[in-house]
Amino acid sequence: MTIRLVVNGRPRDLEVAPHALLLDVLRDTLDLKGAKRSCDTQVCGACTVLVDGLAVSACTYLAVEADGRSVLTVEGLADGESLHPLQRAFVEAGAVQCGFCTSGMLLTAKAMLAENRTPTRDDVLHYLRGSLCRCTGYRKIVDAVLAAAETAR
Amino acid sequence: MLRPFTLHRPETAEEACALLAGLGEEAAAYAGGTELLLMMKLGLLRPRHLVDVKRIRGFGDIGLEPLSGRRLTIGAAVTHRAVEQSALVRARCPLVSSVARHVANVRVRNVGTVGGNLAFADPHSDLATLFLTLDASVELLSPRGRRELPLDDFVRGPWETSRASDELLGSVTLTPWASDTAAAYVKFGVHERPTLAVAAALRLDGTTGAGRNGRDRIVEARVAVGCVSLKPVRMAAAEARLTDLSIGDLDDAARAAADAAAAGVDPADDLYGSADYKREMVAVFVGRALRIAAARARGAESAARFPHTVVA
Amino acid sequence: MSARPLRVVGHPVPRVDAIEKVTGRARYVTDLTLPGMAHAKVLRSPYAHARVRRVDVTRARARPGVFAALAGADLTWCDPYYGPAYRDRPVLAIGVARYEGEPVAAVAAVDEATAEEALELIDVDYEPLAPVMTLEEALAEDAPLVHAGQPPAGHFADLSTLRPRPGTNICHQFQFARGDAAAALGGADVVVEDAYRFPPVQHVALEPHAAVAAWDETGALTLWASTQNPYSVRVELAKMFDVPLARIRVVVPHLGGGFGSKTYAKLEPLAATLARAAARPVRLAASVPEAFQTVRRCASRVAVRAGFRRDGTLVAVACDADYDVGAYADIGPRVVQKGTYTATGPYRVPHVRLEARAVYTNTTPGGAFRGFGVPQLAWALESLFDVAADRLDRDPVDLRRQNFLAHGEEFAPGDTPIDGKLEESLSRAAEAIGWTRAPAADRGRGVAAMLKASVAPSVSEAIVRLHADGSVTVLASAVEMGQGTRTVLTQIAAEVLSVPLARVTVVQPDTAVTPYDQTTSSSRSTAMTGRAVQVAAEDVRDQLLAIAAQNLGVAARELALADGAVVAPARRLTYPEALALKFGMSGGELIGRGVIAPGRTAAPLGGSTPFWEMAVGAAEVSVDEETGAVRVERYVSVADVGRAINPLLLEGQDEGGVVQGLGHTLLEEMLYADGHLLNGTLLVYRVPRADDTPSELECHFVENADGSGPFGAKGAGEGSLIPVSPAVANALARLTGVRLRDLPLTPERVWRALRARSPRA
Repeated sequence: MTIRLVVNGRPRDLEVAPHALLLDVLRDTLDLKGAKRSCDTQVCGACTVLVDGLAVSACTYLAVEADGRSVLTVEGLADGESLHPLQRAFVEAGAVQCGFCTSGMLLTAKAMLAENRTPTRDDVLHYLRGSLCRCTGYRKIVDAVLAAAETAR
Repeated sequence: MLRPFTLHRPETAEEACALLAGLGEEAAAYAGGTELLLMMKLGLLRPRHLVDVKRIRGFGDIGLEPLSGRRLTIGAAVTHRAVEQSALVRARCPLVSSVARHVANVRVRNVGTVGGNLAFADPHSDLATLFLTLDASVELLSPRGRRELPLDDFVRGPWETSRASDELLGSVTLTPWASDTAAAYVKFGVHERPTLAVAAALRLDGTTGAGRNGRDRIVEARVAVGCVSLKPVRMAAAEARLTDLSIGDLDDAARAAADAAAAGVDPADDLYGSADYKREMVAVFVGRALRIAAARARGAESAARFPHTVVA
Repeated sequence: MSARPLRVVGHPVPRVDAIEKVTGRARYVTDLTLPGMAHAKVLRSPYAHARVRRVDVTRARARPGVFAALAGADLTWCDPYYGPAYRDRPVLAIGVARYEGEPVAAVAAVDEATAEEALELIDVDYEPLAPVMTLEEALAEDAPLVHAGQPPAGHFADLSTLRPRPGTNICHQFQFARGDAAAALGGADVVVEDAYRFPPVQHVALEPHAAVAAWDETGALTLWASTQNPYSVRVELAKMFDVPLARIRVVVPHLGGGFGSKTYAKLEPLAATLARAAARPVRLAASVPEAFQTVRRCASRVAVRAGFRRDGTLVAVACDADYDVGAYADIGPRVVQKGTYTATGPYRVPHVRLEARAVYTNTTPGGAFRGFGVPQLAWALESLFDVAADRLDRDPVDLRRQNFLAHGEEFAPGDTPIDGKLEESLSRAAEAIGWTRAPAADRGRGVAAMLKASVAPSVSEAIVRLHADGSVTVLASAVEMGQGTRTVLTQIAAEVLSVPLARVTVVQPDTAVTPYDQTTSSSRSTAMTGRAVQVAAEDVRDQLLAIAAQNLGVAARELALADGAVVAPARRLTYPEALALKFGMSGGELIGRGVIAPGRTAAPLGGSTPFWEMAVGAAEVSVDEETGAVRVERYVSVADVGRAINPLLLEGQDEGGVVQGLGHTLLEEMLYADGHLLNGTLLVYRVPRADDTPSELECHFVENADGSGPFGAKGAGEGSLIPVSPAVANALARLTGVRLRDLPLTPERVWRALRARSPRA
């Protein structure tokens, strides 16, 4: 099936099979490796990308569903070499360790801030319920999201 | 990894039903895919055809049932997120939007649908339990016509419904509680999906305003418990213990109702816990849900927070 | 040299790989693609124990798009066995499948879908055998044997004395004694004893194991692997394929978490075997459920008796520890002996008897996991310490302080003297948690301490190259897996050579390029690899000073490095100038070498630990008495690290250690029934989420620069995890009076204990 979508701001026409998962199309066809396959069951959040601004598990989302929509991956988060405030906050707060969850965390946080510009710590915890990290203990991630929200205000 | 399939995208329910009827067991209705694609990846289901129901007119709508003008109809392809954000749902069934906010995680809520949730009849899902207290009925469409079934008859057991293979779940219709109903939904568990869930609604007599017994008397109680028995169940015995009581007497009655609920469930030992523990937890959380609902009836929001517990 | 203030060491600089990670540019094994690369899938045993009578791969092999389909019996052209302790693990099951999920056959095909379809064409004839799933079953009289014969030993010197008990499921026994524990226990005023269980748990690194293998036209093998120790993987592969070490190249891109799960060969032997059979590069990427079938923590049952004098002096400890190492030994025997060796914790104990057994069962192989055998023993000893405090009517903090080993005191003859101040860690933890003030009525507090040795003897080598433009390359094989070693090594080189961090590049581990490093585990990278980098950088520094001394006519001792130049009292020679003087042209480089190899010693395990890892944890908990759900409201970790090379990264690592510890303390356990693992997916195996982190979590460091590592550093990162379970259980006991002996402290388990204490009226 032919789909037309915008990926990280760039229009794309792609030929994909109905059973192709968005994660595989992004990673293998478009060589956007930032979204990771981990639990493959929508629990961990490592494959999170934004479709029309909403967080989805790309591992369990048909690529054909992205037809006519706009997809944002971590590769599209920065403005050229200028990091997104969330990326800067993650770097500065020490919210990154192995990095495997990082792209999903960043995009989930971006979706949250689009809905809620003044999140409380509890709001962040609620939104990150489906985002697992095994390295950091989460504290610095939550701090980074709150710091980025503060910066954006 | 998914095996190849043909994707059909009918725009009318008739077309979709014809496809399902024609393809039989080879086909599966597909909406958000959060359950279906997961089962397909795990190899538990292998349909050769997916019939996408998201483009069917009305399947994505939330509205008032034309006939009654009061009941709330949610199309099968409405996402949890849409339920959470719908002003109509918030106005008519506020607890439904609060519960929608706590289904699974944000990614599942953005994509997963009400219809998919009900049709899969996962015993650990949230919606069916809550909907039982809203006298929910589901609409089933097939080439043979349309039928409406009470939700309790639709869900038959774990991953089992009374939907025939050529039938399509079109919508669910809820009967909003009368005003003067206070309610709470509480779920508990450490796993990704809840160990148990309790929905409780108390309708108070609203006729006499500030009178001695007015707005203080429970004229109807609804209690449903999910995840513990083979399917979510309304706890009639518990409800009976609460009816026609003063809200001021709820504490004692809640204990009796909780014990009645615990006696009415049929838990089994599994990963979520031993049967006796789950039975005891039904008592604990029916009690908690009732007390939270009672507090809300008094216009108060309980500040109590319990570990591994979501209160909606 | 000079005692000038440190410029970058000790500062919380952002990690050097942060930008590539937040932009999605960091590459992990599964992100790599090679021309012509095939994709592998593995057929795994559905039985915990079965005779594999026949595996027929002919139909799979004939399927279009399939390049290779292999069963164990096909592996006649290599040595199909591997394993660091015993070479007991076949690449694919040969004759017997010993656990559910053991690889039985494998396919390499043009894509993953074809490979997966081909698996369904493989016929396996199994004859199910009675499995042994628990320690009790495995140790019973006439228990079915997981391994009938005795496998050959692996490749480690400290395990050359492996002691299996033929005819049983015991694959190794460890014994250690000092004094006369039996007599001392007999004469003790107070003896406490109990048995404590630790569950099998999985690491759940978000990146499951992965490897890409490619043989070239000369018969040399290159592997891109998610491994914590490329050099150990190289040894295994060299033996399997009988090729020289020099012809095997293991490259390690970014690792998506390790925690011990990626130590020693895991998927690499199978990937290399398939690549050879397919005659093309092969990518083998495990799923999360497959990670659960690859390695886990060794479960344990630890019985401890501890004897005290009336005044609180600990006089004797006797410990009998049984560890379930699963179907294959992996590094389990070392986990058992190293863990048990420090069973007495950070305490002075004159009379000791320690006995431990590593026991085979028909479950996922047990291996290394953060803490390496010590969490299992600390769970027992530190719980018992609080029991003893109650019996002695003593404050648990005071009782620990009274019995701590002192700085400089011998732990065991021949081993490294204690190189930290335990009482300082304890005091700071007690102060931070507010130990002397009563907690709120619904809160309880507990403490626990730990001591752990690092692997010894071990070797780390490093090369530092100073280029003509004054930039620096560091060659070292410590694996960056999130813990921050690349940043720490950058800081060390930048500090010694007085250059900005941005002028230093640390090359990713590559056994063809970066020099030998034994392993990235055991909290050793900062102390050992970091020290090697420091020595190598100092070697370069000395060469620079010599060039400057010669060319400036100044004695070397009057020279120093500052801001990328050699500085004399009145002159300054930049590095490019110094190199141009040495080589007479713009080119050439200075190469420094650092080797840290303490060698074997008379210490009980054959080597003296390069440092002791020491930490104290303090927890404040609440419990929902009706459900049994425990919540850790506050947690304080204090680790004696000598010096924090990077306090920001170290704090993050310790916070992560605490939360990972909360996982096995409150939530995690691999559950088996009827021979099957019930919860090998994240839908039902629950690791801590963001809302499980204590709302107040503090990680502190004791820094007395008393470590043997660079700038006085010691190892860190495991210490924060180990006290978590006993600190939480001790807090729960002080709050409720209930003492639990089995982890995890699930709501149901706590609820049962609370109910047994006071039956519902």
